[in-house]
Amino acid sequence: MPLPELLAILMVVAVCGLLFAGYPVALTLGGVSLAFAALGHIAGAMDLGLLYALPQRIFGVMTNTVLLAIPLFIFMGVMLERSRIAEDLLETMGRLFGSLPGGLGISVVLVGVLLAAAKGVVGATVVTIALITLPTMLRHGYDKRLAAGTVAATATLAQILPPATVLVLLGDQLNNSFQAAQLAKGIFAPESVSVSDLFAGALVPGLTLVGLYLLFLVAVAILRPAAVPPIPPDPAAPRGLALAAQVAKAMLAPALLICVVLGSILIGLATPTEAAAVGAVGAILLAALRIEGAARWPALLCVAGFLALIALRVTMPQWFLVVLMLAVAGALSFAVHQVWRAGYLTPTVSKTTQMTSMIFAILIGATLFSLVFRGLGGDDMVHRALANLPGGAAGAILAVMLAMFLLGFVMDAFEIIFVVIPIVAPPLLAMPGVDPIWLGIMMAVNLQTSYMHPPLGPTLFFLRGVAPPEITTRHIYVGIIPFVLVQLFALVVLWFVPGLATWLPRMLYGGA
Amino acid sequence: MTFRHFTALGERIDRLNTAIGRAASWCALAIVLLGFAVVLLRYVLGAGSIWLQESILYAHAALFLLAAAWTLKEGGHVRVDVFYASAAPRTKAWIDLLGALFLLLPFTLAIAWFSLPYVERSWANLERSRETSGLPLVFLLKTLIPAFALLLALQGVAQIIRALALLSPLPAKRGKGREE
Repeated sequence: MPLPELLAILMVVAVCGLLFAGYPVALTLGGVSLAFAALGHIAGAMDLGLLYALPQRIFGVMTNTVLLAIPLFIFMGVMLERSRIAEDLLETMGRLFGSLPGGLGISVVLVGVLLAAAKGVVGATVVTIALITLPTMLRHGYDKRLAAGTVAATATLAQILPPATVLVLLGDQLNNSFQAAQLAKGIFAPESVSVSDLFAGALVPGLTLVGLYLLFLVAVAILRPAAVPPIPPDPAAPRGLALAAQVAKAMLAPALLICVVLGSILIGLATPTEAAAVGAVGAILLAALRIEGAARWPALLCVAGFLALIALRVTMPQWFLVVLMLAVAGALSFAVHQVWRAGYLTPTVSKTTQMTSMIFAILIGATLFSLVFRGLGGDDMVHRALANLPGGAAGAILAVMLAMFLLGFVMDAFEIIFVVIPIVAPPLLAMPGVDPIWLGIMMAVNLQTSYMHPPLGPTLFFLRGVAPPEITTRHIYVGIIPFVLVQLFALVVLWFVPGLATWLPRMLYGGA
Repeated sequence: MTFRHFTALGERIDRLNTAIGRAASWCALAIVLLGFAVVLLRYVLGAGSIWLQESILYAHAALFLLAAAWTLKEGGHVRVDVFYASAAPRTKAWIDLLGALFLLLPFTLAIAWFSLPYVERSWANLERSRETSGLPLVFLLKTLIPAFALLLALQGVAQIIRALALLSPLPAKRGKGREE
């Protein structure tokens, strides 16, 4: 094997090995890549001058409007969490379904789905869901394994339910690869694949998974009711109409918000970034409405004004629209002020900033990695290796899936997307019959599975970190098994029925 | 210079990056509000404003680049913590010390070094947006790249100092090393 390619392989090995030391991933990626660039330079295997391309790449990241959706979605999720909307949701759902065996577990899955959709970052979702739900489930005598498994699996769904952050990044990277693959084939007006495509593609598989999880819980409730006991009704709790009102109050607004955000993306009305901005403002307004003793009119005026603007934009004269917009802006400023005074805003911007910075730091580290890997000729090596696998496209995809699955034990989804996709996706997408949306969804579900797969799935570690002491590692590992089986089943189905992923985007946006 | 000067330096870096990071974090609110404004303008008035859209990009870039060092201080950069989470404080200090010396510092200094000519070219003609109605401040935007690298490098120095303080056999002069 030629020296440069050997260095490229060693670099991958070194990154994976050093990551285990526990130094921040972004810096490990960047540092190791730099060391190998220097080694390569000394050995005459690559030119260090290649690194002058780095600032241009970073600047490309800074001016990428698709990636703008990331801080916006994170802001929306953190705001919903900080204002305790999620906790309320679980409590009311628990009241609604709790009197049935397995009802609490089902509520956990459903709330988890709403939460996950709003968050899209696995680690944070596990922590939130576990802290809110595990104590309740244990107090009411749920089987420890089942409780742990439900929490871990539900939280991991955050990765693939739109508007997951992972899907935004995946869409962006896949699009780059897709265009590169077509250019390489001599197609100079390449088609593109958008984040909206991936959102639409992920919806059916994601909801299918939710359905399968629920089926499993129902099956347990029927076969082993003792594992999922009903919660005795709380005599002080509202029932009948009062309960319905409470459910509506706790659920309706966040559910509507998520539907509006997702819906406007799916029907192609808004770009993900635009929808995310509306979603983030919506989260501020929801938080403002929940502050005790604070005036409600600013948030309500803002919502009403926004809806009126959308409804009247064609019929009313422009001066009227401008006045109405100023009113909305004024009301929104007031609501922002309320949320700030209630102490929700400062922690939300801090958390949003740190998570965004974490993701983009990894992207910058991975950019250097890709640059060096390409400089050492690693790209060509991977292309050749993939092309020479038996089974053509299917064999190549299978190999990539397996590699990503294993990498999922070591790296976050972000790192895998930033590091692996630019290397493997262009050759895969250049093969005949490989649909970029299907490939993206396969990768997402695959990563999600790897995330909760014992013994190394990161979700399990996150859960371990926040679970009460009576839940042992063993409980978590055993509890997750049924859900992992469901995942693997879903992957197999997705492999043979690509339509699960491609049908909805094709319906919505037409095209190939 | 005594050891106490070092720990004082570390704390000063912490304070600097905390102040910068906290300030940059309000860019998150700016992104939300400006993003909402863009939506209103586009869907209601059918108007687009390039400088408004560019200012969102500027806020976003400032957010994640300027806050990266603060995020490091706050322990916000993900680690593979299979072993790290349960490691003894001394082991963690060793990992941070070696990581900062051999991974963080070379990486950040290399970014600063390789971005200098790039930023210099931009300053030489005070580069503006390619759009005529865009913001004329592209040279400032590009300057964020070396700023990001240098702030992160500084925080790496603080990390080294904190690790050394913890590993040092001189218990009296340890200072107030904050744990992440």
